Amino acid sequence: MAITLKELVTSGAARLSLELIWGEGRMDREIEEKAINRPGLALTGFFQYFAQRRLQVFGLAEFTYLKSLTPEEREARLRGIFEKNVPAIIISRNRIPLPEIRALSEEYGTPLFRTGMITSRFINECTMVLEELTAPRDRVQGTMLEVMGIGVLLQGPAGIGKSETALSLIGRGYSLVSDDVTEMVRSGGRITASAHEMTRYHMEIRGVGIVHVPSLFGVSSIRRDAMLDIVINLHPYVNDAEEDRTGLHPSEIEILGVKVPYLTLPVSSGRDMANIVEAAALNYKLKLLGHDAAKELDEKVIGNFLRKAAN
Amino acid sequence: MAGDKKTVFREFTVLNKYGIHARPAALLVKAAGKFSSEIFIGRKGMEVSAKSIMGLLTIEGHHGARITVRVVGLDAEEALAAIAALFENKFFEE
Repeated sequence: MAITLKELVTSGAARLSLELIWGEGRMDREIEEKAINRPGLALTGFFQYFAQRRLQVFGLAEFTYLKSLTPEEREARLRGIFEKNVPAIIISRNRIPLPEIRALSEEYGTPLFRTGMITSRFINECTMVLEELTAPRDRVQGTMLEVMGIGVLLQGPAGIGKSETALSLIGRGYSLVSDDVTEMVRSGGRITASAHEMTRYHMEIRGVGIVHVPSLFGVSSIRRDAMLDIVINLHPYVNDAEEDRTGLHPSEIEILGVKVPYLTLPVSSGRDMANIVEAAALNYKLKLLGHDAAKELDEKVIGNFLRKAAN
Repeated sequence: MAGDKKTVFREFTVLNKYGIHARPAALLVKAAGKFSSEIFIGRKGMEVSAKSIMGLLTIEGHHGARITVRVVGLDAEEALAAIAALFENKFFEE
């Protein structure tokens, strides 16, 4: 998925402090490769493997090198880069662009920006903004909570009690991220969950209506986002459901290509779901610490039997 | 077999001035809840369940927005007709 210069400038407004020098009408240009290139080698005339689909950043080194050339050489080397039709050129450290750069950018229709940041900081920030803009995202049905540092997504059919369970958990001091609709974004192999900004921090409780969670329970009852650790599916209790009774065969669900532990919890009247979700989160935390209770018990049982059989 | 699962699909334009705000969303949830079919309301490639108020508020169905309705289930046609009535009557707001 390609992104446009306009998207980059809008999302990165606060972090990149980009100032447009030329190219207002060209903001719909696409950045084909979401990375940044310092065109040092290209300026020397070496164009093999030149990353022409990336943003080109001119830092102190590029500037100093250009100044060491004769005006004719400088113009020719720069022209070589503009001829490659790069998406845009960015000058760091708020340098005033050399007249040649300015003129070529108009000649080739290549937008020209300037930033007050130093080159390395700019490259880091800009890479992050580009990553966020192109990160795979999806909207899923489910209520997201943070329980003792574990990000839990509650799923299940309408009316099963996701919001009611969430309410109980909020009452126990845990935090709500989103009710019923959760936005997922993948970055670096993990998924961050947050609410849609339209409904953020609100939830619907049957019979009560829409409530504003921090107004009722205080600011500690909410979180803007949380990493997704487990998905818990609430489903109506049926006797022969294929749930894992031992915890020895954990299932997984794939969200945005990332495998996430998946638990199915049967709901029946009298079962305190908040308590069970809390236990599931705790048990997950214990597994992260290297303790798998189900496996350890099973190994103990098997060990005991093997000893008895040998005697 | 009582019948087969069907999928029906239709597109609507939001006609009431204030769009799909809380009250119309609640009407949609109520109407959708009467059917066993799964009902999805979509806009700009994002779909949410018509049985979720919070979901419906996130699709940003303002006046003039194009909304898709996809219904899957045994009573899909009846469900779609009930949803259509709400859109066509501007959610009884005007």
